[in-house]
Amino acid sequence: MAIEPAAIFIIDLAAIFAIYAIINLSLNLEFGYGGIPNFGKVLAVGAGAFVIASMPGRIIAWIAGIEGDYIRENLTVVAQVNAWLLENPVPGFAIFAMAVAMAALVGGALGAVTSYPALRLRGDYLAITLLAFGESIRIIGNNFPPLVGGTLGVQVPDPLSFVPDELRFPTASLVLMIMVVVVYLYCERTIRSPLGRSLRAIRDNELAAESLGKDTGRVRMKTIMVASAIAAIAGALYAVYVGSTIAIAYDRASWTFWPFLMILIGGLANNKGVLVGTLLFVALRKLIIFFKDSFEGFVPFDVVWLDLLLLGSILLAVLLFRPQGVVVEKPTHTLGRPPTDRGIKRVFNLLFR
Amino acid sequence: MINPVFFDAAVFASLLVLLSLGLTLTYLTTKVPNFAHASFATLGVYMTLVASRVWETNPYLAVPVAFVLSGAVAVALYTFILKPLAKRGASDAIQMIATLAFDMVLIAGLNILADYLTETFRVKSREFTLRSFDLEFMDLPMIVTVAPIAVAVIGIALYLMLKKTKFGIAVRASTENPDLSGTVGINVKAVYTVAWWIAGGLAGVAGALMALWFLGDPNLGPLLIPSVFAASIAGGFTNIFGAVAGGLLVGLAEVLGTRFLAGELGSWLIAYRPLIPLIIIAVTLMFAPRGITGINWSKIRSRIWR
Repeated sequence: MAIEPAAIFIIDLAAIFAIYAIINLSLNLEFGYGGIPNFGKVLAVGAGAFVIASMPGRIIAWIAGIEGDYIRENLTVVAQVNAWLLENPVPGFAIFAMAVAMAALVGGALGAVTSYPALRLRGDYLAITLLAFGESIRIIGNNFPPLVGGTLGVQVPDPLSFVPDELRFPTASLVLMIMVVVVYLYCERTIRSPLGRSLRAIRDNELAAESLGKDTGRVRMKTIMVASAIAAIAGALYAVYVGSTIAIAYDRASWTFWPFLMILIGGLANNKGVLVGTLLFVALRKLIIFFKDSFEGFVPFDVVWLDLLLLGSILLAVLLFRPQGVVVEKPTHTLGRPPTDRGIKRVFNLLFR
Repeated sequence: MINPVFFDAAVFASLLVLLSLGLTLTYLTTKVPNFAHASFATLGVYMTLVASRVWETNPYLAVPVAFVLSGAVAVALYTFILKPLAKRGASDAIQMIATLAFDMVLIAGLNILADYLTETFRVKSREFTLRSFDLEFMDLPMIVTVAPIAVAVIGIALYLMLKKTKFGIAVRASTENPDLSGTVGINVKAVYTVAWWIAGGLAGVAGALMALWFLGDPNLGPLLIPSVFAASIAGGFTNIFGAVAGGLLVGLAEVLGTRFLAGELGSWLIAYRPLIPLIIIAVTLMFAPRGITGINWSKIRSRIWR
C-alpha cells in the first residue's frame, strides 16, 4: 500500500506542527505569561534530543549484547538495535519512555541552570546571557563526538520498528498529536492555577507581586524548569521522529527564533493563539518547500531565501501593525477549589502550585 | 617571516573594535541590542567583492561605498522599525526580536545578492576569498597595516567628534537624557538617526576591510554576532571607549588565546573557539555587568596588595 503524496504532506505537517506546538507552549509559559525572554530555548530542545540520541541505543546495545562502538560503528549498531526492537517492542518502548523522562529531567536541570541568570538579570541582559547559553550546546555537541557523534551525527533507534513500514510515520504523527493535547491541557491548567496567576502578576508588576508576599524568584525558577523540561521532551520526540541527530541542526534560528516568531504571530500569553500561530507558520513553510519546484526558473536565485525573506517580513509586519497577534490575550478563568482528598491534593500541589 | 596568526589577530581585533563601537553607539541611543549589526558588515564584504570582481577596481574603493550603504540600512532599521516600536512602548524583548527579524530579511537579501552575482557575473560568491586582490605594502598584504591604522584613525576621529564638536555634545546629551536634551532644543531623533548611520557605516567599513583577509559568506552575520556582543559587553555596553578595549580583548583572546592554549593542551581545543565569546558574555553580565571599564580596579588592587 503506497501513501498518496498529499497524505504524506499532511502526516509530516502534523508531526512538525506537534513538535513546534509543544516547544511553543512551553515558551509561551516563560515569555508570554512569565515575561522571561528565553533566547536560549534551543538549549533545552537540544539537550532532549542529545539524551535520546545517546542513551537508549547504548542501553539496548548493552542489554542485547551487541558488540561495537556506539559512535564509530553507529550504523551497524543501530541496525542491530532496531532488529532487537522489532522482536521486543514492549521493553523497547519502556526504555524509550524512560529515556524521554530522562530527557525531561535533564531539561529541568538545565532549566535550573538557566534560572541562575534569570533571577539576577532583567530584560536585554538576560536575553543575551540566555542566548549565549543556548549557543553553547551546539558547539559542544559538534565538537565532542561521544555525545551525538560530533560533525557526523548519529542515528536514533526507532521504537516504532514493529509497526509496518507504511504506517510508521502516521503512527508517529498520531503519538505526537496526543502529546500536544496532553501538554496543551497541562499548560492551560497551569496558567489557571495559583502558580499561573502569580506568574502573570510578576510579569505585569514584579514589585507589587513581591509586596503581596509572592516569592518571585521561586515562581520564575519553577516556570523555567517546567518549561525547559517540556521543551526537552519535544526535542527528544523530534529526534525519534526524524530518526537521527546532528549537533549543527540545533541552531538558534530553528529552535529559538522560529518559536518566538510563531508565538508572536499567534498572540502572546494565549495558548490557543500559540496553536494558531504554529499551524500558520508550519503550513506556510511546508507549502513554500512543497511548491518550490514550480517557482524554480522564474527567479534568478534559490527559492529557499524567499522563505526567509517572507517570514522575516511577516514577523516585522505583525510586530508593527498587530502587536497583539492573531488571537488576543483574554482574562483566564481560575481553577476551582482543589480536590479535598489528600493524596490527589499533594499531586495537585506538586504540579500546579 | 611573521607568524600569520598575528595577522589574523590584528585584522580580527580591528574588525571587532569597529563593530563593537557601532553596536555600543546604537545601544546608547535606543537601548536595544541590535542583532542585525554583524550583517551590516556582511553587506560591506559584498561591496568589496563587487568592487574587486565586478567593477575590477581597487578593492579599497569599496570602503566609502560600504560606509554609505550599510549606514543607510542601519538608518532604515532605526526609522521604520525601532522608532515606531519604541513609540508604542514595546518591551526590550520585542524590539530585540524585531532586530532579529530584520536580520533575517537582510540575510535573505544578501543570499539573493550572492546568487545573483554568481548567475550574472560568474563570480564565486559563497565562501570566497579576496586575498589575491589585496595590494602589497612592505612585502606584506596591505590589509594587515590598513586595518589597525583605520581603527586608530576612526577611534580618534570619533573621540574628537564626541568631545569637541557641537554635534558630539548633542549626541552625548541625548543619550544621557533624551527628554532634557529635547527641551534645550536638540533634535534628539535626528541625532539618533545620525548615530545609527555612523554605527552602521562603521560596520560596513569593518566588513569591507575584513573581506580582504577572511572568507566571505552571506551568512557571516550570525557567526560573528556573539563575538561582537562579547566585545561590547566586556567594554561595558554603555561606554564607547570601553568598546575599543572590549574589541581588542575579545579579538586577541579568540585568535591568540585559542592558538596558544592549543599549543599547550592540544589541537582539539581550536574547535571550541566559538565558546570563548559566549563565556565572556555570560561571565561579564553575571559578575561584572558594567564591563572592564566598570570594575573598580583600585579597590581590587588595594585588596590584593594589603
